[in-house]
Amino acid sequence: MPRAFFLFALLLTGAAPGLRAQTEYYARLGAVGASNLLHDVIVNDLTLRQSIAPMIAIGGSLPVGSKGYRANLEATLATGGYHRNEAGSSFDVATLRTATLMLGLEGPLWQRIRWRAGLGAIQYWPANDEGIFLDGGTTRLLAGGGVDYRYPVLAKWDLMTSARFDYHRFRTGTLEARGFSQTQGVSRVSLSVGLSRSVR
Amino acid sequence: MTRRSLVITLAGAALSLACGDIASPLRNDFYEWRLEAPSPWGVGVDTISFHWPADRLPVRVWVEASDPLPADFTRAIGIWRDAFLYGEYDATVVADSSTADVLVRRGIAPGPQLSTIRLNSALAPQCSGATDVSLSDDHLQLLLPIRIYIDANSAPSTPGLEECLALTAVHELGHSVGIFRHSPNPADLMYFDPTVDLPSERDRTTAEVLSHVPATVEAVHP
Repeated sequence: MPRAFFLFALLLTGAAPGLRAQTEYYARLGAVGASNLLHDVIVNDLTLRQSIAPMIAIGGSLPVGSKGYRANLEATLATGGYHRNEAGSSFDVATLRTATLMLGLEGPLWQRIRWRAGLGAIQYWPANDEGIFLDGGTTRLLAGGGVDYRYPVLAKWDLMTSARFDYHRFRTGTLEARGFSQTQGVSRVSLSVGLSRSVR
Repeated sequence: MTRRSLVITLAGAALSLACGDIASPLRNDFYEWRLEAPSPWGVGVDTISFHWPADRLPVRVWVEASDPLPADFTRAIGIWRDAFLYGEYDATVVADSSTADVLVRRGIAPGPQLSTIRLNSALAPQCSGATDVSLSDDHLQLLLPIRIYIDANSAPSTPGLEECLALTAVHELGHSVGIFRHSPNPADLMYFDPTVDLPSERDRTTAEVLSHVPATVEAVHP
């Protein structure tokens, strides 16, 4: 999988002039929210959840075939905190960064709206190695999809608005060492807006 | 197996994998941590449970500048912080003893005072420790600071002294975390005469559990 990402990134940046002309690049800013990282019971039920975090996304795509499909590579980075919810109260725990890299396919959906779906990985980077991240961050497989809406604002630039949903199974080495079994399904939803270099 | 049943089985497996939640461990192997103090009203005992509330973290620990105490307590803070999964405990060494929540001194603990409950620990020949906890008259307040005493009973070159001091630092700091009793199990760090130098799983579970039980006292600086 990393080799595929690398090759695709090389293609996006160093493609032949003809292909490069059809390469689309974009950057967006937005926010991402996630479901619970885990549920535990220590006297009370408690959950751990990431706060809604600011996010930056960059990516690019290349045409695939002649029916409007494109292969895309997208990376995101979000920085926020995570907190513990217990007995109706919320406690900040620490700062947490997440980065994703997804390789996917996109196609036309309706008018200026395009769908996309892909597979990739999510990396958790805690600010400090402590708590559930005592043994450091973790990398998990990621699957996701979404829709993009592009509105032309300049000759070569589109305003791009995106909604994304992705899903992965979460667990850390520390949780495993402390006797947690199985994994927790984590869903994330993001909304973002930015600029896309058009290939019109 | 027909193709249809295979597809259904695989779909079912994928669905259960996608929908199942992480399963947390049972935390039922812990020991009594609560302090029993004669009731101020003269009948029975009061059971005192305490943990540091989130708004008082990090706990401020002042350590006498007498080697190896500062290094031992810096290590001890890290060990207890790492015992928790959800940020229930954190502490930092501070330079100002007048605002500290926990005071660590070198030497023999002074004679006990009224309203002070002493937890003596570590009966090793090389060193010993004690933690003093003070309660208000009505047993509703924990009067800060918690005082820890670490004493080297032997000459600096005595074999095992360094290890004894390090172990005792972690043990006594464990009392300040909220483990106000000793474990009955010699394999635990919080045993009254510990031989292990790190919290056992039982110590950790006890610390985790006490941190989620409502405290019966509020920590205050008189």
